[in-house]
Parts: sequence; C-alpha cells; structure tokens
Amino acid sequence: MEMVLRAPAEEKYAEELTRLKEADDGPRPPGWRLSARAVRRFILGDEALKVSRKFYGDDPLVDRAIVSLMGAQGLMMVGEPGTAKSMLSELLAAAVSGQSGLVVQGSAGTTEDHIRYSWNYALLLAEGPSARALVPSPVFQAMRSGGIVRFEELTRCPPEVQDALISILSEKTIAVPELGESQTLRAKPGFNVIGTANLRDRGVHEMSSALKRRFNFETVHPISDPGFEKELVLKELAERLAGLEAGSEIDPGVIDVLVQTFQDLRSGRTKEGTSLSRPDAVMSTAEAVNVVHAAALEAAFLDKAAVSGAHIARQVQGVVLKDNPEDGKKFKAYVDHVAKDRSGGNAHWKAFYQTARKLKLV
Amino acid sequence: MSAVTGQPGEIGRLDLWQESRGLYLVPLRHHSPACAGHLKALIEEVAPALILVEGPCDFDPLIPLVTAEATRPPVAIVAFPERKPGRADEVSVVSYFPFCAHSPEYVALSEAAELGSEARFIDLPSSHRIALGRGEAEADGEAALAISLTDERAFDASDYGRALCRRIGCRDQNELWDHLFESRAGGRDWRRFFRDVGVYCAHVRAATPAAQIEREGHPEREAQMVALLREALDDGKGPIVAVTGGFHTPALIEGLAAEPPSRKPKRGAGGAEAYLIRYGFRQLDQLNDYAAGLPLPGFYDRLWQRAANGEAGEPLWRDLAVEVVTGFAAHLRQTQPSLSPPLPVLTAALEAASRLAALRGRPGPTREDLLDACRSTLLKGEQAGDLTPVMGLLHGFLTGSAIGDIPPSAGSPPLVEAARAQARRLGFNLEDGEARNRKLDIYRKPRHREVSRFLHALAFLEAGFAARTSGPDFLSGVKLDVLSETWSYAWSPMVEARLIELAAGAETVAEACLRVLRKQLRALGEQGRGRNAGAVVQLFLSACQAGVADRAEEILPLIEAEVTSDPELRSVVAALRELHLLWRGREVLGMTGADTVERLIGVAYARALYLLPDLTAAREEDLSGLLEALASLREIVTTAGAETEAIDETLFDEAVAALLDSEVHPAIAGALACLAFLAELIGGGDLVARLRGNLGGAVLETGERIAFLRGLIAISRELLWRLPALAEAADEILGGLDEDSFVSMLPNLRLAFAALDPREADRFAQRIAARHQVAQTEVTGAVRYDASAEEVQRNLELSRRLLRCLEEDGLRSFVEAEVRS
Repeated sequence: MEMVLRAPAEEKYAEELTRLKEADDGPRPPGWRLSARAVRRFILGDEALKVSRKFYGDDPLVDRAIVSLMGAQGLMMVGEPGTAKSMLSELLAAAVSGQSGLVVQGSAGTTEDHIRYSWNYALLLAEGPSARALVPSPVFQAMRSGGIVRFEELTRCPPEVQDALISILSEKTIAVPELGESQTLRAKPGFNVIGTANLRDRGVHEMSSALKRRFNFETVHPISDPGFEKELVLKELAERLAGLEAGSEIDPGVIDVLVQTFQDLRSGRTKEGTSLSRPDAVMSTAEAVNVVHAAALEAAFLDKAAVSGAHIARQVQGVVLKDNPEDGKKFKAYVDHVAKDRSGGNAHWKAFYQTARKLKLV
Repeated sequence: MSAVTGQPGEIGRLDLWQESRGLYLVPLRHHSPACAGHLKALIEEVAPALILVEGPCDFDPLIPLVTAEATRPPVAIVAFPERKPGRADEVSVVSYFPFCAHSPEYVALSEAAELGSEARFIDLPSSHRIALGRGEAEADGEAALAISLTDERAFDASDYGRALCRRIGCRDQNELWDHLFESRAGGRDWRRFFRDVGVYCAHVRAATPAAQIEREGHPEREAQMVALLREALDDGKGPIVAVTGGFHTPALIEGLAAEPPSRKPKRGAGGAEAYLIRYGFRQLDQLNDYAAGLPLPGFYDRLWQRAANGEAGEPLWRDLAVEVVTGFAAHLRQTQPSLSPPLPVLTAALEAASRLAALRGRPGPTREDLLDACRSTLLKGEQAGDLTPVMGLLHGFLTGSAIGDIPPSAGSPPLVEAARAQARRLGFNLEDGEARNRKLDIYRKPRHREVSRFLHALAFLEAGFAARTSGPDFLSGVKLDVLSETWSYAWSPMVEARLIELAAGAETVAEACLRVLRKQLRALGEQGRGRNAGAVVQLFLSACQAGVADRAEEILPLIEAEVTSDPELRSVVAALRELHLLWRGREVLGMTGADTVERLIGVAYARALYLLPDLTAAREEDLSGLLEALASLREIVTTAGAETEAIDETLFDEAVAALLDSEVHPAIAGALACLAFLAELIGGGDLVARLRGNLGGAVLETGERIAFLRGLIAISRELLWRLPALAEAADEILGGLDEDSFVSMLPNLRLAFAALDPREADRFAQRIAARHQVAQTEVTGAVRYDASAEEVQRNLELSRRLLRCLEEDGLRSFVEAEVRS
C-alpha cells in the first residue's frame, strides 16, 4: 500500500472488517456489507474478534445511529466541535457500505452541483448531454451504488443549497432531465445520508424545518469520564507516534494532568467542585491528543527528555489562546488557583504549574 | 463452598426449591412485573399454606388492609418513629413500603388472601431501618429523610453488574435487568426464571464488599429472616413460599443450612407507627430516586397489565410499544399541541424501537429502547439530555399519575387525621371530590376567622385543598377594605399525599406549617434572597395568616437582621408597609406577639431613614419604584405616627429637610419639595417657585423639566387642586411653550399625569378650564380613548406639517374657519 498521511477507515481497519464479515451471521439490511450487530461491534469493539473500540462514552447513541441508518430518515450528528462526530460518521460509512470516501464538504461555497450532478463541459460541448459527460456528485454516486454518503458541516452551506437534500431524502431519486424525459436516478437499497453539523458555531446557517424533519438527530457530547478520555488519548497518541522513536514511554501521570485540565476547563468545574470561568476555546478530546502529541514531539526532538507536565503546559496555551483574549486570563486563573493547589504533592502538576506560571497568557 | 463467598461457577448453585421440607425461596427484585408474573404462576402451582414476605414484621396487622377488596394499588405502608416529647429538632425519618399492582410483594399478599393462606412479614421491625436511616441523615446533615423499605442500592452499584453491562452493551443496571429478566415477562416457567434471577443476584452479592453489606445492616436483617423462617418451618405448616429480595436469598439459604443460633427473632412495633396510605406513581418514582428500583412505574404497570392478560413474547412488546407511542402522542395533542408529532414520526419511532430491540437482542422494545427511539425521532435539533421538553414530557407520561385507594377502615398518620378532623369540625365536606365555595365573615365571626386560618394554613402547606377567590389580601395589601373572604375547596387524594409527605415531622397542621416555614426561610437564604427584608416579612405574614404567628416568633430576630442589612430603600419600605399592615391586622390575624412587631416597625423605619440620603444617587430606571416608596413611606409615617411610638414623624421631616436642597434627580426633587410642603417645612410660594424653576428651566432634556412635576404628583396629587397657584404656574408655563417643545414634552407630561384617575383628571381639567374661562367640555370633551399614544403623537405632527404647508400657500384662514365651525 502506498504511504498516505491518513488512510480512510475502511483501509485502516481492513483486517477488522474482514474478520467481522467472516464471523457475521446476523441478517443484513438490504444493501449493507455487514449486519447491524457487526457494525456495532466494529465501532464499540469486540474482544473475541480482536476488534478495537473506536468510539467512547455513549454506546446507546451508536445503537440509535445504526438504527437510524436502517430507516428512511437520514442521520444528523450535532454537537460541539471535536466530539468525534466526523470520525463516527466515517466509521459508520466504512462499516455499512465498505467505503467512507463519498463525502460532501459543506462550506459557504458549496453549490447544488455538489449535491446533484454537474457536467464535463468539454464533453458536453462535443457530444451534447450524455451519461459520459455527466459528473456525478458523491450523493449521486452513493444513490447509484446503494451506499452511505457523508455530508460534513451541513450547516455551513447556504440554506437554499441545504434544501436540495430534502427531495433526495424523501423521494430517494434525482431526475436528470438533460438526458431525456424519463431519465431518473433511483437510489439503490443501502443508500442513506450521514450529516454532521454544528448548530451553534460562528458562521453557520439555520436548517429549515423541512430538512430537519427528514433527519434523525443525535447529539454527540464530549466525553465526561476522565478514565475513558485518558484511554482514548493514550490510544490515539500511540497511533500517531507509531514509527517514531519519540514518546514511546509516557508517564500516565502526565496524561492525567492533561485530561484533568481539559475536563475542568471544558465543564467549568473542577472534579473537587470548584467553579471556574470556562474559556470559549474548544477543549475537545481531539485537541487534547494534539497537545500531547506536540508535547511528545517537543520532548523527544528538542529536549531529548521524557514528556513532563512542563511540555503539556507549553502546548496547552496554544489551544487556549485561540480567538478570545479573555481566555488567557481564564487559563491563568486556572493555573494560579487550581493547578497551584494540585502542585503540592504531585510532581507532574508541579512541573505543569511552574511552567504555566511563566507563560505570557495575558 | 458457600453461596455467599463462593468461587465463580459455584455461586449460582442455589438451593431455591427445598421441596423435601416444603420450602420455596423466591429471589426477586422489587416492583418487577416479570417477577410478579412468575411468582403468581409459582403460587398457583405450589398452593402454599404460608407465604412469607420480606417486609417489617410490625406491618403484619396491616396485611388484611393491603389485600382488602377496596384497596387499589398503588398504596404504601408508611412508618414514623414514635415521637418523643421535647425532641422536635431531631432528624425526621419516614419510611415507605410501596406496593403497586406489579409489585411481587403485592401479588404474594393478594394471592395468599385468595388462597386463604396465611401471609406474614419476616424482616426486622421498621424502627430498625428508621434508626439506620437516621444515622445516615445525621451524617449527611439533612433535616428530613424519606427512605424506601424496598431499597435496592446493590443492584445499581455492583461491580458485577457494571462488568456485565459492559459485556452485553447496556448503559446501566436497570437496562441490564430489563434485558435479562423483564424481557421474559408473561412467561410461565417460574423454575427457570427464578433460578436465573437467583444466579444474577448471587453474583451481585458476591461482588459486594463485605464491609458494605455490614454497613447497610443486611446481616442483622437476614438473621431475623432466617429466624422467622425457622420458626415457620418448625410449625410444620407447609408448603411455605418465602419471597425476598434476591440479594438476600443466598444468605438465607446459607443461614438455614447452618446450625440454629440461639437468638430469637425480634418482634413488636418497636417504637414506630405504621399506616396504609394512598400512594401515587409520581411519588414512587421520586422515592426510587433516592434508593433505586425500576424507574417510570407507569411503563411497568402497562407491561404488567398485558402480561397479566396472558400476553407474552414478541406480540406483547410490540403492542406495548404501540400503546406507549400512540398514547404519548395523544397525551401531547391534549397537553402540548405544539409539540405533538406528525404520524410519519410516530411510525418512524415505532420502527426505530423495534429495530433497536432487534439490534440489542431483545424480543421487543423494552423501556430504554422506546426512550432511545423517541429520542432519535421526536427530537429535532441539539438536545440537552432529558431536560429537553419532549423527553421531559415522555418521562412524566411514563411515570404515570395514578393514585391508589384504600379501604375506609385504614387509619392515617396523625397529621392527616388531625387535618381531616379539623376540617370536619370546621364544617367542610370531605366525602367527595366536588369543588365547593365558602364565604367567611372574618372580621365579625371568630369561628369564620378560625376557618380562614385553617384554609390559609393548608394553602401555605401547598396542600391544594382550597384557593381563595376573593377577600382582603394582606400579602399584597390590596382590597383591605373587603370584609369577607370567599374560598373554593375540594378534598382529593393529592391533599392527603401532600400531608403525608409532611407527616414525618408534624402531628398537627400548625406544626407542619412551622416546619415548612423553617424550610422556606432556609431556602430563601440559599437562593440569595436572604438580604431582602420584603421577602422575609411576606413569609412571616403567611405564617400569621395560617395562625401560627405566636409560634413563629423565632423568625422575628431574623427579620430584624434582614431589615438592617437590606441595601434597598424600596424593599425596606415594602417591609415596613407589610409590618404595618400586620400590626394593624393583629386582631384578625390573632397575633400575640404584637409588641415585637411594633419594635420591628421601629427598626425598619430607622433603616428607611438611614437609606434616604442614597436618593442623591438614584438611577433613572429606579425612579418610579423610589417615588412609590417615598409616597408609601409618607403614608405610613402619617397614619402610624399617631398609632405607635415606633414611628417618630419629626425624624422623617428632618431627613427630608436635610435632603431638600441637595443635588438630586428632578423627579426626586419634586417629591422632596412636596414632602417638605406637606410637613410645612416650606411654604406654598416656595413650592410654586421651585416648580416654576424646574418647568421653565434651561435643561437640554425636556423630560427633566417635567420630572419635577411628576415627583410632586407622585407624592400628593391633591395639591394640584388644593394649591391653585401650583396649577396656575404649570398652566402658565406650559401654555407659553411653543408648539414644537410642547409636542416633544407630551410623553413626559403623560407620564407625570398618569397617577391621576379619570375623575381627578376631570377635576383638574375643570380648574384649567375655569382659568381660561371656557367650558370644561372644551378642554376634555374632545378626548377620545380609542387612539393610542403613538397615534396621537403622529397625528399631531402631521397636522402641524399640514398647517405649515397651508400657511406657506397663504391658506391658513381655511383651517381656522374650519376649526371654529
């Protein structure tokens, strides 16, 4: 296999998918590559088949998502940034239809052509409208093959473009009048849409209620169990550092510092119950992984030392100081009060505190 | 190897059916319809001569009441510790032993009654659990505690259950229970079913630390159960069915197999009073919050109804899901039409529910499958857990609102009895739930005063017995001149339910009022309204109306503290006004501590005077409140000054004089000048001069020029006609204004004169008309009330523009002729 920066889920977990398929004895919904239970096992893990757990924190949500995909409604995942919505949608697509690559990336520049179809204009001029000249959108392709299409950041598209999905979701057809009167693409079984959206971020649009009605909504929450989050961070980190000599040994105590800091700042309350001001910056698990990854690289390549609380502190500031200058003050308050109290009997917190104190946060 | 401490593999080998000695040990979970159904099958087959049930043995006398024909679950046995005089402050603990139709315990007792077999409870007397609960409550610093005698904490927090959840894929141990056992509701194979329950419970037990079992007092209770079981076995009456929580079964088997100990079972009431009471699903669900149990009883009741009708397996669950989803939709259409889902959504919900059940390997949608299905199909948009309105309503719907019934012969807790007796004595009809009216002549008839107090007390307790439809309202100080009160009342189980909630710490309505009063005071402090004299005084007033004033005196020092730390003139004056009302109504309210109130009036008055100089820093948005406060302060000073020594009028006058010439907002200045005139600190001429100075003043904001007049009117509007020079001055200056400034001033003028009622406005208009020597109708006759203020303002400007246009064209004479005609 050619080296790529990031392989799609169906390649990355190809072996697990094969094992699941071989052991799969449940009934398969029409058009699906695996049974619903095997899809569940793929995402939530199965020790017997050596399938790893890929989504943490809300198992019933995965059940509901799988069931939604079997029905006539689309599946819409909403929630704060960095809660693994896109990852979950990729995993679902990979397990259900064997490919997660049919993606529409929603943005302010998305047009209806990205949802329906467009034309290869050179061919169009040369031959007139023909099946060959038609350039299918990912949605079109998914309908043709009976697969899952993912629509990322749906609410970043202008509302009139979003609404192109309404008829596709209810009729499951796209008419191509240019090719002739009765030329209509009817979706094969197995077709469905997984959307991800952010309903509260800056620069997003409202969804029309007609479109909302055609989706089942699932809210993905940040992981609230520090144990789970730690497990996840360590796993992700190990994957990222695979092949590098760096950071092979990270003291779990350091990860504790990181995860606790993120949990505290995200919820606005420490585990001891002290209230604190919540920064506006997104403190997601994905960001936590970025922080510890960068900290590990810094420790290995610049310091030639083990990762310590000090490295974490230097990297966390990059996450916190993103857009709101107030966040610096809030983080400083956290360092001055909470981290200080914890630095008493704990070497990692002490290193974190001493470094964080010297940062220029305000 | 024993069942309690056994190794894996050994744990589940429970000797439940000891048929050789005619003993059947049934492990169960409280309020489980599946257990209840299988238990029914067992009893029908075994036909026991004796049924023993886990439950305090001092409840035995109540069994006939539980199984009486007139009893309709949900009901509960409620127990209080015997009250010891002089220990009012001790933590009040009340314990509930609830039965619903789907409780195995209820099925056991009613089946026994049907068979004509004997039934007995075999747990320690209720006082044991009450004492245990009290220890916990004291450790947690709580003042009152309700405990459930069907507590199943172990099922919620067991490591075994957690591990099993993770393996099977359930979110919590209630879902696990539904998955493993409730899904088998409607089955008849009791041997297999209870063997499986036994295995599960034995594992939960084996994974529970011994220290925890000890701390929760299980060994002592199990020893009692074993002792009573032995006694029953020795009597030789068989077969015996013993129905206990599955958590205890392994210990019972072990205890029965061991050498008989010397100890005798404990008996007797042991210092507790117990009653059978009506109970409701809502209370049951709340009780479960504290101490585990299957949530949403309304759902399980529906399940039980179907299973009892002989339905089972897939059709049962399918029909149950349809019943719940369509029932909920109908419920929404009735209560919250805006949230009611369209038909396709209902179909989608049912489809999702059965798919979820299939995915999770269940015969049909259980509770969590249904909730999940509704969550993904009914909610559109981001959700915040169960706080989302639709999910909250669904929870309420599935909790159910049913209330049981008890035979008339069942006694009630003292508080309920006392309230009933008092109500009967006062001539209320409690026999049915009809709403009736009652009119009370509270000023002349002492008996009516007593009735009023009783009704106020129940209203204060939020018992939902009666609502006042008219009468003097001391709380808000309105309609104080009305001589009679009218109430509408109706007795309902909810009234009793509320009284039972309160029954733990009180025997009489008055005691209950005191408890609630204390609780509210605490809550007030916690809500951060502590430093609000008005709120505390209101509370005290409620207590007085409820007739517990003499015993509520402990509040008075608190009011004093609140008043002296209140930073707001408005709320201090409000408190003062209410204290004054209270003091004046002391006879109607039957108050004894009137001199304390008088002293409090003094305190509040002093505080108000202390806060008066803050008027110099008054903000625009507080003006109306402050003007009102000043007006009512003056009213209190003039009326109360003559009645009580607590209020010294001269102090108020001095404070006004000191403020008179300081830099304040013109509205406040107007009010102060008016107060000063009324107190004869300044003469009429001075007042008029001040008004002229302000109205004709050179301030940029036209509103401020009128503000002085507004302040003046707010304090004493009668001056407008009592002091003709005042009206003249106003008229002169306003008349001299050019059209533009008059129109721009109009909104402020309207605000200033808003205090006048129509009659007073007429009177004032008369004066102005007389001054201009025109008929009054010419001033007020053209008044129309159907045009809004904005419209008038708009039209005025329009006509001014029109006039200007005509003038430019030299046509002004046109209009003037028109107006005159």
